[in-house]
Amino acid sequence: MSYSLATLWYERSRYLPGVLAVSFSAVLIALQCGLLLGLFSITSIPVDHTRADIWVGAPGLLSVDVNRPIPDTYLARVASQPEVERAEVYIQSFAQWVKPSGGAELCIVIGSRLEDDALGAILELTPEFRNLLTEPGAIVVDESELARLGISGIGSTGEISGHRVRVVGFLKGLKSIAGPYIFCSLQTGRMLTRLSSTQASYVLAHCYNPADAPNVVERLKNMPEMSAFTANEFSFRSRMHWLLKTKAGIALGYAALLGLLVGAIVTSQTLYAATAASMREYAVLQAMGIPRWRMAMAVLSQSFWVGILGVALAFPTVYALAGVADTMGARVILKWWLLAGAGGVTLIMAMLAGLTALRSLRLVEPAILLR
Amino acid sequence: MLYEPPRTSPTLQGKHLTRTFGQGETLTTALNDVSLEMYPGQINLLMGPSGSGKSTLLAVLSGLLRPTSGEVFALGEDLWQMTDRQREQFRLRYCGFIFQGYNLFPALSARQQLEMMLCWGEGMNRREARRKAEEMLALLGLAKKASLRPAEMSGGEKQRVAIGRALIKDPMFCFADEPTSALDWAHGEQVVELLRAAAHERGATILIVGHDARIIPYVDRVFDLEDGCLREPEDITAYPPGGRQSHGPYLRSVQ
Repeated sequence: MSYSLATLWYERSRYLPGVLAVSFSAVLIALQCGLLLGLFSITSIPVDHTRADIWVGAPGLLSVDVNRPIPDTYLARVASQPEVERAEVYIQSFAQWVKPSGGAELCIVIGSRLEDDALGAILELTPEFRNLLTEPGAIVVDESELARLGISGIGSTGEISGHRVRVVGFLKGLKSIAGPYIFCSLQTGRMLTRLSSTQASYVLAHCYNPADAPNVVERLKNMPEMSAFTANEFSFRSRMHWLLKTKAGIALGYAALLGLLVGAIVTSQTLYAATAASMREYAVLQAMGIPRWRMAMAVLSQSFWVGILGVALAFPTVYALAGVADTMGARVILKWWLLAGAGGVTLIMAMLAGLTALRSLRLVEPAILLR
Repeated sequence: MLYEPPRTSPTLQGKHLTRTFGQGETLTTALNDVSLEMYPGQINLLMGPSGSGKSTLLAVLSGLLRPTSGEVFALGEDLWQMTDRQREQFRLRYCGFIFQGYNLFPALSARQQLEMMLCWGEGMNRREARRKAEEMLALLGLAKKASLRPAEMSGGEKQRVAIGRALIKDPMFCFADEPTSALDWAHGEQVVELLRAAAHERGATILIVGHDARIIPYVDRVFDLEDGCLREPEDITAYPPGGRQSHGPYLRSVQ
């Protein structure tokens, strides 16, 4: 066992604050980033969970959920592109859900074609669900939104824009932030969003070769009174809008940075105090000619192991807390690269804290042993 | 009987050493024109009352504290003309130190305390360093205590580990500051015997700083320091039965 590791284990109570500080930082960063990723995925669900390669809408679109009606004549513009195999209209708009027991809740109505080759139908809509949705006023919602909608199960009813709607099925994993998604047919969607038969929220398109989508989008962008994006572009745009414009990403990022700073300070002070406590021992080594850089390497090695132990402690903690967050309705996505990044940043922070602890080594003077 | 130095060159020479601390009204002279010589294979004792400058002289002679004036020659090299790095390398190669308070790393076993000196100081690989450490510990009578940490050892055992740490590099010089003051005499005697063996069997130059007069019969020479001034160095083989007599203080210049 290395001398540094032996010291860390023997004096574990002394080094524990540093290990916990590193762990705290890693957990905070991973959770914040996981929440951001969860936020990412929720805000762009309508784009990520459909088959469309191209999204066309009103000019100046910021996010998939912030749109204005467009004339359905745009359908011809899009469908006439030689690379486009098929195009269809799509409806998405905010509306007010009136609960059976009273009270209202903001919701997002999503109306689409229901055929097997529909571009706008959420992938999770099974043929059975799509069949049920052909009934006017039939809707499907995410099962986690029961409480928000004030409903109890299949067959429950509610009211949107003065129209009674009936729940015919539940989906999983399609929780929303702003308001529950209400999936329905185009016909039901127009009814609930009060869009006329010649209006739509978007035109969606599928290319013979999806690799042609960027070229089509560039061409469509030059057309008047419309904006066009590939699915990837629109998904990213929607997520970034929520992060930056709503300051949610900035707030979470700031909290993560503060967590890193706290971790750095506590770890630095822990290592400084531990090194200072061994001042006389280091002084003996220096008296006998052991170079300072050797002792500095020992201190840095300790900071490395503090970092490793802290990060190792953080991983199970992150998963546990992510599970708790999920039960509370906050989606936390923990990708391997996110965990590796959080661990790496925290480990670097621990090593930098070790560098600041080296200042105590500068105070080592062998002559003090002779006083 | 006047002291007659052995017919070899001195390994350690201090010439007209002066060391002051403070300035103006707070100026204190710890060493006042001190000159002395030490030879290989000899164990020397530097005695004097508290505040006489013993530790300061040890620090100056061993390259830890720069004198205000004067020179120190170790193995013919002017120690205080060297750069800090050169002095550090000199100490690494030639010097061992034993201090009053053991100063062992609490987390490391006796074996690891010695290994560290070889691995960090000489770049020795762990296996070879372990072998040498165990050899030294066996020599010190600590073979069965190799895996113990300082908290599990007696004061005497800890000081023997400190001695092992100082001697494992087989240094030319060993400087010991009050090595027996924290020990009972049974353990203190063991410590002094080990240092005596290092001098007589390995040819090292040993300098012990201490108050303990019981050490005198074990050493080859005694230096008396009082108020920063050195008295006549005494060859204790010249003592008449009944112990040494006090001759009164006076300065001696070594040419």
